Amino acid sequence: MAAWEEICGQRTGEQVFRLRHPSGLTILVNPKPGYRSSYAVFAARYGSIDTAFRTDGGAQETVVPAGIAHYLEHKLFESEDGDAFSRYAKTGASANAFTSFDRTAYLFSCTERFSESLEILLDFVQHPYFTEETVRKEQGIIGQEIRMCEDNPGRRVLFNLLGALYKNHPVRIDIAGTVESIAQITPELLYGCYRAFYNLNNMALAVSGGVTPEEVLAAADRLLKPADGRRVERAVADEPAEAAQARVECRMPVASPLFYLGFKDHLPDGRCRTAEELAAADVLLEILAGQASPLYARLMEQGLINPSFGAEYFEGPGYAAWLFGGESADPDAVAEAVHAEIERLRREGISPADFEAARNALYGRLVAALNSVESCGDILIGDVFYGREPFALVDAAAALSPRAVERMLRENLQRPQAALSVVFPAEKPAE
Amino acid sequence: MPHPSFQPLSRGAGLLTLTDGRFKTARLTAALLLPLAEETAGEYAILPYLLRRSCEAYPDFTALKRRLNELYGARITAEVTRLGECQALVLHAVSIDDRFALHGEEVAAACAALLSGMLFRPALENGVFPDGALDVEKRCLIEQIESEINEKRLYARHRCESLLCEGEPYAVDRFGTVDEVRALTPSSVTAAWKRALSAAQIRLIVQGGAPLSQAGEAFRAGLSTLGERVPASCETQVVRRADAVRERVERMDVGQAKLVLGLRAGTAEPDEGVPAMRLMNALLGGTPHSLLFRNVREKLSLCYYCQSGYDRLKGVLLIDSGVEERSADRAKEEILRQLDAVRAGDFTDEDLESARRSVVNQFRSVGDRQAAAASWYLGQSLAPALSTPEEAAEAIGAVTREQVAAAAQGVTLGAAYLLAGKEAQ
Repeated sequence: MAAWEEICGQRTGEQVFRLRHPSGLTILVNPKPGYRSSYAVFAARYGSIDTAFRTDGGAQETVVPAGIAHYLEHKLFESEDGDAFSRYAKTGASANAFTSFDRTAYLFSCTERFSESLEILLDFVQHPYFTEETVRKEQGIIGQEIRMCEDNPGRRVLFNLLGALYKNHPVRIDIAGTVESIAQITPELLYGCYRAFYNLNNMALAVSGGVTPEEVLAAADRLLKPADGRRVERAVADEPAEAAQARVECRMPVASPLFYLGFKDHLPDGRCRTAEELAAADVLLEILAGQASPLYARLMEQGLINPSFGAEYFEGPGYAAWLFGGESADPDAVAEAVHAEIERLRREGISPADFEAARNALYGRLVAALNSVESCGDILIGDVFYGREPFALVDAAAALSPRAVERMLRENLQRPQAALSVVFPAEKPAE
Repeated sequence: MPHPSFQPLSRGAGLLTLTDGRFKTARLTAALLLPLAEETAGEYAILPYLLRRSCEAYPDFTALKRRLNELYGARITAEVTRLGECQALVLHAVSIDDRFALHGEEVAAACAALLSGMLFRPALENGVFPDGALDVEKRCLIEQIESEINEKRLYARHRCESLLCEGEPYAVDRFGTVDEVRALTPSSVTAAWKRALSAAQIRLIVQGGAPLSQAGEAFRAGLSTLGERVPASCETQVVRRADAVRERVERMDVGQAKLVLGLRAGTAEPDEGVPAMRLMNALLGGTPHSLLFRNVREKLSLCYYCQSGYDRLKGVLLIDSGVEERSADRAKEEILRQLDAVRAGDFTDEDLESARRSVVNQFRSVGDRQAAAASWYLGQSLAPALSTPEEAAEAIGAVTREQVAAAAQGVTLGAAYLLAGKEAQ
């Protein structure tokens, strides 16, 4: 009989119970006493980047059309006798799902009848049902979704950047795929990808809110069948350390130019960042480009940015990048100013007071994120998939040393790794 | 969720306290509520952005942001929102609860002092807002107004609202126009700030676990410096029926068209029929098992999204969907057919109960989210009595299927707006 392992955050006292269920599934439960709502997320380590993979240590690589993980997400909601939404309608839970670069997540939140909703979740995700007809029908809906995404300049400017940074890695392709790639999807392909990735060994369940580990385990025992020993491996894309191209631009109906300046981050062994490294990256970005930074004040003063300006560290299996983005009348001038500020910091070093303020800011924001059951559940899934301890980032931020931040600054953010993506205004809308 | 305690502070000003130890943050919401009007929208809209830049103790924005970082990344953010036909100028302050401070600092009290300073004692030069700060905020507000077209769905919704409510304050953009903002000067903005402090309905919402009296005190002290206030009443004009359908097609370089229908609900606060209309909205298009989602998206594959939303303060229902232009007419017909079905009582008990459970679930989860609870009570700032999410959930529980059908019978279509691509005809 598997036993719960109890983990308690040093600073926050946030409690997490972790279990490797006999079925193979990793389960995390974060009880929040006094909360009326609960949130559950059942996720597969399977996202848009998984367009090439090997099963069972075989040498043969399977290559599938882009957008299939997302397509599968849509189709899993259907079963022979109705869709999952109508089942949830009977419990009152609010349900949804999303596909990102590296995961597919099915989730719900509710204020009553938690166990019933959890059973629905565990059940429908384990029971795929597709026919030629239902697969064809979905092409219309997803085609609309792809068009909606193409009209979104914020999304276009990001994917154009990723296309410039990456030469081969599938992170460069839109999560939903393209109208052409989804036209190639068949029930057989969906079943094949389902069998490869929706193996409980490759999945995790996280629950946060007014629940006990026992309630979760009871539902898991009822619904989960031991997974077979099948293993899936992500293909490793051969990706150079430098950006594939330095600049990319396009035109769309926007008011002023949108931009992203990205620096590719190369982790040679394809590993993920540790909690300490992630905290160091976030603190470095706060010092460099946060609203209290001299760079932000200068660019604001010069009329080059507005409050949409921000920086973030973006990472996943086999890819990571430092992103600076927003709206600007002159994106090239902003990019040059960011490069210059990085060089200045390298020359002059980071002051202890600047470090302390930025570290406090990160720590406080991470603590604040633990208010919500939804963000707790999502953080826990990420921690499992990235091999970090539950809520490890909070304690890593509190214990962070200036040296870790200086090392990040030394080893990253070099010009050959950079690319600039700009969406310029096409024209004014016509009445 | 704790019961709110409401305390009148002075004429037209009140403090609402929600003491709740479950959260890791303290949250303060300060709102000035003013009638939404064309003449004043721009000069009022810039105020929260200008105010959150400074206070006497920290006249410089960068120094203030630095202080907030030291205070564990406390955030003080500005928002301009619309409550019926009332323009709400809001400052939100969120900071970690003192018990998580690494060195025992009193974070929440420091934040309350900063917030109160921003609102009542901003950094002025020669008695007016400084030129430099005003120029930056004018530019940012203008860019924000202009960038509305970047989000096509929101843009289309706003265009439909303006079409439906042309000539009513509801159609006034809450940010004002680019020309109005461009014309603002240090003296005009300073005068608007003084007028707003005198004429607004003022609300402070305090949420957190620790004793929160300091926050209320800082605010009360600020109010006492204002002298005699003359708060304006913020009435919302409710139009019960649409007499004609206004139609408009706008063309832009987009791949997906947006169809938005604007309807007069016939029911608005404080009518007794509001819970029935809320439930009717959920049944029709408020959930992923609603009639619109199931029929227009799932069954007919006409669109990626098709949702309805109800503004209970103004009595307006908006139904929006993302469609291919050639399917827009069919989508519109199908949407109206579903509305007719509700009017005729042609929906199953299961449909109704699903919608009811969904609304009740949504209300009951409000208390677990600080921001949602703040906005729940902010939305009732001008209501004669406060209703808790639990009470609202009970009211939904009591609505009958006849009342839902009757609510739908009072709905009339007043506007149909389509944002469509350039080449397709």
